[in-house]
Amino acid sequence: MLFHSRAFIFAFLPVCLGGFYLLARLAGSVWALRWLVAASLFFYGWWDPRFIPLLIASVFANHLIARQIRAFRRAGSDSIAKRCFIAGIALDLGILGWFKYADFFLHTIAPSQPGLNLTLPLAISFFTFQQIMFLADAFRSPERDTDLLHCAAFITFFPHLIAGPIVRPADIIPQLRYSALASPHPINVTTGISIFLLGLGKKLVLADMFGGFADTGFDAAAHGAALTFFEAWYATSAYALQIYFDFSGYSDMAIGLARMMNIRFPLNFDSPYQAHDISAFWRRWHITLGAFLRDYVYIPLGGSRHGARRRIGNLVVTMLLCGLWHGAAWRFVLWGGLHGIFLTIHTRFRAGGLRLPAPLGQALMLFVVIVAWVPFRADSMASAWSMLRGMAGANGIELPTMIVGFWPPLAWIATPVPILPYLGDARTLSFPEVTACLVLGWTIVLVLPNVQLMSERWRNWALTSGFAFTTQALFFAPKVAPFLYFQF
Amino acid sequence: MARRMILACAASLLIYAVLFGTVLDRPLSLGSFRQQIDARLARGAAIEGPKLVILAGSNGPYSHRCETIEPLLGMPCVNAGVAVGIGLDYLFARWRPLLHPGDVVYLPLEEAQYTRTYAATSLGPDASIMFRHDWPTLGLLSPGRWLGAVFSFAPRAALMSLIETALVQAGFEDPRAAATGSTNAWGDHVGHTQAMGETNAARLATIVPWHETAASIASGDGTAMVRDFLRWAASHDVQVVGGLPAGFAEWPMPNATASAIGDVFTREGARFIDLGDRARYPRSAFFDTPDHLNEVAQIAHSRIVAAALAVVLASPGAARPAPVHPDPGEALARPEGVSGPVLTAVPERAASR
Repeated sequence: MLFHSRAFIFAFLPVCLGGFYLLARLAGSVWALRWLVAASLFFYGWWDPRFIPLLIASVFANHLIARQIRAFRRAGSDSIAKRCFIAGIALDLGILGWFKYADFFLHTIAPSQPGLNLTLPLAISFFTFQQIMFLADAFRSPERDTDLLHCAAFITFFPHLIAGPIVRPADIIPQLRYSALASPHPINVTTGISIFLLGLGKKLVLADMFGGFADTGFDAAAHGAALTFFEAWYATSAYALQIYFDFSGYSDMAIGLARMMNIRFPLNFDSPYQAHDISAFWRRWHITLGAFLRDYVYIPLGGSRHGARRRIGNLVVTMLLCGLWHGAAWRFVLWGGLHGIFLTIHTRFRAGGLRLPAPLGQALMLFVVIVAWVPFRADSMASAWSMLRGMAGANGIELPTMIVGFWPPLAWIATPVPILPYLGDARTLSFPEVTACLVLGWTIVLVLPNVQLMSERWRNWALTSGFAFTTQALFFAPKVAPFLYFQF
Repeated sequence: MARRMILACAASLLIYAVLFGTVLDRPLSLGSFRQQIDARLARGAAIEGPKLVILAGSNGPYSHRCETIEPLLGMPCVNAGVAVGIGLDYLFARWRPLLHPGDVVYLPLEEAQYTRTYAATSLGPDASIMFRHDWPTLGLLSPGRWLGAVFSFAPRAALMSLIETALVQAGFEDPRAAATGSTNAWGDHVGHTQAMGETNAARLATIVPWHETAASIASGDGTAMVRDFLRWAASHDVQVVGGLPAGFAEWPMPNATASAIGDVFTREGARFIDLGDRARYPRSAFFDTPDHLNEVAQIAHSRIVAAALAVVLASPGAARPAPVHPDPGEALARPEGVSGPVLTAVPERAASR
């Protein structure tokens, strides 16, 4: 079930919230939590009920392993506890690897072999990380006991189950234990609804609009079209906006939903395109994934503790794994690798005492981030290369005749053509239309505060400007795209 | 806090409705449609006595020429088609007051018109036009269309209204006329010559036309709108003749689809013209899309249509007439540049009416 579907908003959410608060009042918070777990499993199974048993079995297994880890740690058998911990992680990663990466590795090793074509269980990348954190929490803090119900509620809690944020047990489980959890707090419900509506608007109004522009360009490249300079740059920068509004919109909705149930999720996007360098970008983009990779990959690899060379190696490995986590394809690995290189260069620059002025640093960060989105979005390495060629101007620079006619000196750099066939709807006025949309989108991401940091007044202003468009898109949009991060 | 949030949402809806209903406009894109529709309606209103009205999408003005048909049929003609995106219910609602007993409406609708969903229709350009400029017509349509009209504006519409208004203020000259031709007094598209269409030849050569299935035609929302109109026409002595659009000779409409379209008309007691191979042309006869013949082919096709209409209009009516496959007889010389099927002449009796 998608957060932005009418079934979710008008059926699932009211029933789930109503049942949660009603059961807490009639039967106590334990029953409210049971209801929440059942509702979350229903939510999960809406897409494909075949994988509910996998999710339930995974919760049971990890809870059992965590219990053993705690027991061994309390008994002083740290080495056995560690073996249990490693076995648990291996189990989780094994399941993830089987479903997500079996075909990838099979085709890498034996390209001629037929694929296994396994259906990827929804959200497996996310709930695997949740389980790993749950095991790590049990290993690090054996004194904190967690019963099956709280474990299940933590893992399956529907606001974060499908696409994050990747929340930590230490942050969430104490909130689930709070005695007044299931008492409705008007301020939390109102704030949650407000954040949810703004996230919904980001997704339906902005992400889907920019997604249409991006799809036109990238689909054309996938079909062998040679995009010219502006077509390629417009499509790629539209994708940069689409993925930001899509995923940060999803995170806002998740945070808003949790807030309606008195649970506070951590911030997941902190206006990342406003960062002044690539390191700051990664501290503000998908913050919970970045923190997971830092704490569970980069630091265990040695972090920055073993000299500069090792640090760079750890950084690149972490980013390559980050890319691979996003998808079982070399273009995702390339994306992660590119970011690893960017981070390394930035680290070396800073170590050498070099700093760019903030606007220049931000411009450079935006340039490299947008270029790196190309392999991430493209259907294949070939179409990524085609798109990059277009961005480099290798297929020429063309502009609509009406634009060149408006300002003739443009003819020095651009060839006038009636229309740009791979820009927007390929109409006479598509160029100014897409330009205006991109200016609007980049203004929002570069100038305005993000939803989480907005005051109530700001949020109400944002609702005033966007709620009608959100309503329009929710009920009347001809096409609603699924969340981009569902595929990861 | 909740009150302030609800007020913010309500204010948003109010501002949206006021802005799009009274302030923002799209003078170039929607304005062009509106101008075309109004000009054709004005011509229809000015004609006294029986007239022929051709209603379709853009294949109407591009592939039919009232200027040619009118003298051949001896009946004033209005080419009232504009674009596939304009809702049939809207077009019918605008034309109903201007149709009188004895008038003939020819409907060579594109296949997509029959299958277009209510949802798509409710968000078409006519929805925006009605909400901004034509509330009386909107009032004639279903409540679903009212809601669709109110919510037919995405942010792109707001941005485009600013751009288009600025362009008009700056004296922007629409380059479409130079690239595609213009419209004459009958509502025909003219000037879309073969030479002008050369720039589209490469694209036309690769287009694979999509044909609807018979089942989708039979169950289409557009089909329901056509049926409603046929019933209205029958009760007002307006004669409706169904037809098919021109198409690629080597990628013809499946017979089952053509039959399903014919059934829409004949089951309501209306006439239907199936020109068969004579409405199919080589790709070189098209201008820019599979629905748009170039000017030479447009004139030739109009002669064929006029001949067929003459046969239909001359024959006595029937409760459930069979589809008409006219064979008007005398062959005409093939117009230069059209290498398609043999074109046939209009019978003298029709031409001399």
